[in-house]
Amino acid sequence: MLKAAIDTEVFKEAVEVVAAIVSECRLNISANGLAVRAVDTANVAMISLELGAPAFNTFAAGDSQIGLDISKLKNIVASINKADVLTLDLPDGAYKMELAYGGFKYSISLLDVNTVRKDPNLPSIQLPGKVVIAGAELNNAIKAASLVSDKIAFGINPDNETFYMEADGDTDHINLEIKAADLKTFIPAEARSLFSLDYLKDMGRVMSKAEEVEIFLGKDHPVKFVFTIAGGEGKVEYLLAPRIESD
Amino acid sequence: MQFSEFSEICDRIESTRGRLDSIDIVSGVLKTLTDEELPVFVRFLMGRIFPDWSPEKIGIGPNLVYDAVAYVVGDSRNTVIRKINAGGDAGRAIEGLLLKKEQTSFFSETLDLLEVYNDFIYISGVGGGSSQKEKLKVLKKIFANAKPIEARYITRLILGELRIGIGEGNIRDAVAKAFDVPAAAVEHAFQASNDLGEVAVLAKSGVGDLETVRVELFRPVKMMLARQGTIAAMLEEEGVLAAEYKYDGTRFQFHKKGSECRIYSRKLEEVTKAIPDVANMLLEATTHDAILDGEVIAIDEDTGRPLPFQYVLRRFRRKHDVEGHMQKIRLVPNIFDIICIDGRTLIDEPFSERRKILTESVSKFVAPQIVSDDIGTIEAFYRSALADGHEGIMIKSRSAHYTPGVRGKEWVKIKPAVDTMDLAVIGAEWGEGKRAKHFGSFLLACRDELGELIPVSKVATGISDDMLDILYDMLKDIVISESKNTVTFEPDTVFEVGYAEIQKSPTYEAGYALRFPRFIRLRDDKSVEEIETLQSIEARFAEQTKRLQG
Repeated sequence: MLKAAIDTEVFKEAVEVVAAIVSECRLNISANGLAVRAVDTANVAMISLELGAPAFNTFAAGDSQIGLDISKLKNIVASINKADVLTLDLPDGAYKMELAYGGFKYSISLLDVNTVRKDPNLPSIQLPGKVVIAGAELNNAIKAASLVSDKIAFGINPDNETFYMEADGDTDHINLEIKAADLKTFIPAEARSLFSLDYLKDMGRVMSKAEEVEIFLGKDHPVKFVFTIAGGEGKVEYLLAPRIESD
Repeated sequence: MQFSEFSEICDRIESTRGRLDSIDIVSGVLKTLTDEELPVFVRFLMGRIFPDWSPEKIGIGPNLVYDAVAYVVGDSRNTVIRKINAGGDAGRAIEGLLLKKEQTSFFSETLDLLEVYNDFIYISGVGGGSSQKEKLKVLKKIFANAKPIEARYITRLILGELRIGIGEGNIRDAVAKAFDVPAAAVEHAFQASNDLGEVAVLAKSGVGDLETVRVELFRPVKMMLARQGTIAAMLEEEGVLAAEYKYDGTRFQFHKKGSECRIYSRKLEEVTKAIPDVANMLLEATTHDAILDGEVIAIDEDTGRPLPFQYVLRRFRRKHDVEGHMQKIRLVPNIFDIICIDGRTLIDEPFSERRKILTESVSKFVAPQIVSDDIGTIEAFYRSALADGHEGIMIKSRSAHYTPGVRGKEWVKIKPAVDTMDLAVIGAEWGEGKRAKHFGSFLLACRDELGELIPVSKVATGISDDMLDILYDMLKDIVISESKNTVTFEPDTVFEVGYAEIQKSPTYEAGYALRFPRFIRLRDDKSVEEIETLQSIEARFAEQTKRLQG
């Protein structure tokens, strides 16, 4: 069971965060709030989202798991007026969830949970390096890199205390270096990994709204991005597997 | 079954010379499979993903495969294409490329035969605006998880040719051997159901289940085919013959249940919407639920004479503006066989019985037929057919069963000696000068007894500029590889080609070459399975030698 009301903008952001990685997912509902843990079709990107009950204007729920067509939900919420408050209504055992806003009632069919991929276990990996930068800055670097290449390297240079992002194209090269002093947090470690911009472009667009994004890095290891939404009441973790160049 | 096991079996068959050895390998494996795996395994082995009657298509061109591979290995698409071009075999080239993969993933999954199949089903069902992107994602996952040898066969399955050199007949025999049932029972069930995969499951439970397989409405069976031959030889064999006009039109199979009907083309694609006028005529021709076999011809309204074949094809191809085109060409169906009536399967009835049922149950459009044991009468019928503007006549054994997909000796076509053959287009060279942006000369292949494509000729003359445009549009998206000025295609297109003479020649793998080959027409009603066989080219060559010496 779920009965809740939430600001449209907050809900929209939560949906977009998930839609950047998967087109459908299992939504875990509990008295504490909503949670999603999902991996993309190719097993390259993962998301964990926890949207706490305080992110909602009103929230009442019992434990359950439902299957959601996230792409469809994204299209629906895109059409809702910013100022509207959205109410969600899901009776126990229902096959449809009702979204009501500004006079509209939208009944969205749920997916059979068994047809949606199971929640993955998040791998436990040690990522020694950490920096914190503004989401907008991160997104700008990703956008710039995709002009010259389809991959980007994130790295930390502990010697000269910088965090860098660089992309090598066939002809062009882009490099952005940020000094430790200009970063909100800087935990130095030998780190450099290469990532597909295919995934990062979608993630970057979502992260651009976050004031702060924590980036955890290692050497030829996945990258982890951690940021909050819904005024701190929603916590998002993205994990992206690296590309490893062989010579 | 793991996909790696399937790949190893394919690899063993690929390197096995003997027919019986291949059958042994396959029959041994068939026994170990579950009911879910069995049909998929059999279809995959035949180089197919879906049964032949199914309208489903995977809808992935070579380019999407190359993009997925490029992504996984971390090379540009051009590098991937260059590697494929160097060897010409996309499967082998991708196998080599996948020795190193750049993109890592959180979980590596071993590919399972059924999971790969389910991924293919998923891909074929993806529609909408971002469908290419979603298909690409699934392909990336498959190739990310594929071992190099698995990638060889995944690539070939997607591109439509497994190239392991095991014919349909051998797989059928392997099914019979594995489950200890007669090959004839397997063949019957295969012809009626048009899916050897499903038949393999039935074979498991014994011969009884195979014998009761029936032809089903809205599930097309393959068309029975005819050979070349002579009236005299056929009369000697049969004593008495049925003879009908050989129509220069397009073959169809009409399925009717109550007021619902569908028309399938020779390639078993549904074409009902393109020829609603014919559908209505046929609906009114019988009150029974039935499957009818026939040929649609175009009639010139003024003279009442048949128009050439191209006019019919134009309608079959048309998807838009069907109304507007209905008036210009009047299409008339001619029904010459019946495959099923009111739930009763007729393929094992003799032709004389089927003909009786046909004339009793269908009131209109039944093709005229004569029955005679006299060569003079049949020859006169042949001359009248030509005089009326038809292509020739078909002479048929009255005792023959309906054998779907078989080019047997029971149906023989008699037509004026035209030296043309249908060949598969497997490659091309870029044109020169004003044709530089088009394919100029096309590489053509016949089939050997195992169904492998064997190059036999090139054709460059007789193709109009308009046709070159059409061909370029058709073929550009199924280019598998390219090197210097030549390209290879997914084998999907059939040309009818004329020639002056067949010569022995070391130039082509077939050992023969065509002298003065010229393009006659695009046979987009024909599938690559139906092209000229190496055997029949050998027969034509022998015939020609006899003629020259005689």
